[in-house]
Amino acid sequence: MERPDDFSAYWAAVDDELAAVPMAAEMELLPLRTTPFANFYAVKLTSIGPYRIFGYYAVPTGDGPFPGLMNTPRYGSVNNPPHYDDRERYAVFTLMHRGQRLADRPFAAEYPGLLTLGIDDPATYIYRSIVADCLRGAEFLLSRPEIDRGRVGIVGDDLALLTAARRPGFTNVMASGLTWYRLMEARQRTSAYPVEEINDYLRIYPDHEAALSRTLSYTDPLHHAPQVTGTTLLTVGDAGALGGQEWLTPLTDALGGTVEHYPLTHEGATDHDWLDAWMARQLGTEAKPRLWAIREG
Amino acid sequence: MPAARRPAEQYGTTAVRPPDFDAFWANIMAEVAAIPLNPTMVHVPMRSTDEVDTFEIQYDSLGGVRVAGWYCVPKASYLPPPYPALLIVPGYISEPTLPKSWAQMGYAAVGVAPRGKLRSHRQYNPGYPGLLTDNITDRNTYSYRGFYTDAARAVDFVLTRPEVDKSRIGVHGSSQGGALTITTAALRSDVIAVGAAGAPYLCGYMDAADLTHSWPYEEMNDYRRLYPDRAGAMRETLDYFDGINFAPMIRCPMLVYVGLADDVCPPETGYAFYNALDCPKEMHAYPRCAHDSGIYWEMPKVEAYLAAYLKPAAYTRHADPTQG
Repeated sequence: MERPDDFSAYWAAVDDELAAVPMAAEMELLPLRTTPFANFYAVKLTSIGPYRIFGYYAVPTGDGPFPGLMNTPRYGSVNNPPHYDDRERYAVFTLMHRGQRLADRPFAAEYPGLLTLGIDDPATYIYRSIVADCLRGAEFLLSRPEIDRGRVGIVGDDLALLTAARRPGFTNVMASGLTWYRLMEARQRTSAYPVEEINDYLRIYPDHEAALSRTLSYTDPLHHAPQVTGTTLLTVGDAGALGGQEWLTPLTDALGGTVEHYPLTHEGATDHDWLDAWMARQLGTEAKPRLWAIREG
Repeated sequence: MPAARRPAEQYGTTAVRPPDFDAFWANIMAEVAAIPLNPTMVHVPMRSTDEVDTFEIQYDSLGGVRVAGWYCVPKASYLPPPYPALLIVPGYISEPTLPKSWAQMGYAAVGVAPRGKLRSHRQYNPGYPGLLTDNITDRNTYSYRGFYTDAARAVDFVLTRPEVDKSRIGVHGSSQGGALTITTAALRSDVIAVGAAGAPYLCGYMDAADLTHSWPYEEMNDYRRLYPDRAGAMRETLDYFDGINFAPMIRCPMLVYVGLADDVCPPETGYAFYNALDCPKEMHAYPRCAHDSGIYWEMPKVEAYLAAYLKPAAYTRHADPTQG
């Protein structure tokens, strides 16, 4: 998928729309989720539309500034709130984009279905608005006085890359499980959801392939990559597979900042602990391997 | 300093099986049995292929709640009926599976969406987080009373389908799907022929909450922090919903698999369930694996285990890896 000629103008228009809508941030302390070591807030923000989106924001108690961390939304209706281990170390923000639980009024996303909603036209594609939601979330986190601007990470899938590309301020990016990257090629190599949503769509509308290619060229992280200036970690799957080293080479080459790779072992604890330690090292805090203490008595 | 961890298989549990556990669930199953199923099926061309037809289904469950699901069935032109049936039950935050890949293997496959899940949340919607602790101090209104029943009720839907061989019905899922595999195999032990439960959640609830700070069990720790005086009432309720206490009811062969470093569903609790089983059983445990429970290596074993009992016609095809 080639980079469209009006790629910059398309996203500049999103920025302009966002800039015209006040964020109107609202933070409410949630006693149920607040711990002795971190305050926990429900956050509401306004994104383009205008549309009210939601997030969870946890801030360590004590004197800041704290390293900041943003979790971009996964593909699904629910995102877990920030993890206990992250609340101990970071001022951490997890966003629910429009359509997801807690941001599903008036628009409730369908799964499967969201990936192709409005996809025939870049102007109507739902991910134009969802990326705007992520940008608004980034603006919220980056505006917080308690974060250390020199230590702000972002974690997620393609949305983490797009957000980091369009909102300089993230010093570190961790991206895995990419969906929009080379999606029209990927769809020919898998029948697993959510990519299968594209195959489903084209089975019904086979003459829409060119339109889908065009729309998806705006959300492909490959075309956003040069604007990512922080240090990026990409997780790497099996050789020859989607997500493998060879598959990721164009993205690696295109990224603007330093790029590191982590070859996944598929041992979930091994992978988690390595990735957690990488981000902790980058942001100057301690690693938290997921080994739990057994309470005495 | 953290205490040294005992081997997971020796950890045991503090869950206690209430004397009236069987009667409690017999009453619930009798209550739901009296409710007409009212099944509906709507063909979904968008999600159908040359090999598989996909339907959106609905049926009535406990309290009159309308429950949704996906039903994927081989086309007769691809594979002739009858088919074994497989219920695919969902994880806590994951979407109900659209089980097209299982249907390609020859199963009449149902992706169940119990109350509160998308498309089943019009009448009941505690949210996420929220489901785990909704009415947790009252066993008669606790969230999982209806949730477990909705999953078990999917068996009744399958039994209405003429293309299904009623002697070959299985159930499979991971995480909360592992829990629902357990409860469905127990509550419908008259029908379920085999189960495969990954990283089983909702086993040893209170033990698990003591062992981890990961979601969703952290919801319980939050609740106990805010309402410390309710811990006893929580335990009293949860003993009626604990997968370990369902174990003696299961008669079919069960495959259980766990990650030995699972921070979401501690393997100690998976073993406590496994040790309580009194049926043909098999355990696969993966060192250094977490809530993935070794699915990278385990998925072919799950397919083979289910196929050995359910005998799908195209067992050489492969399903999408089961997510928790």
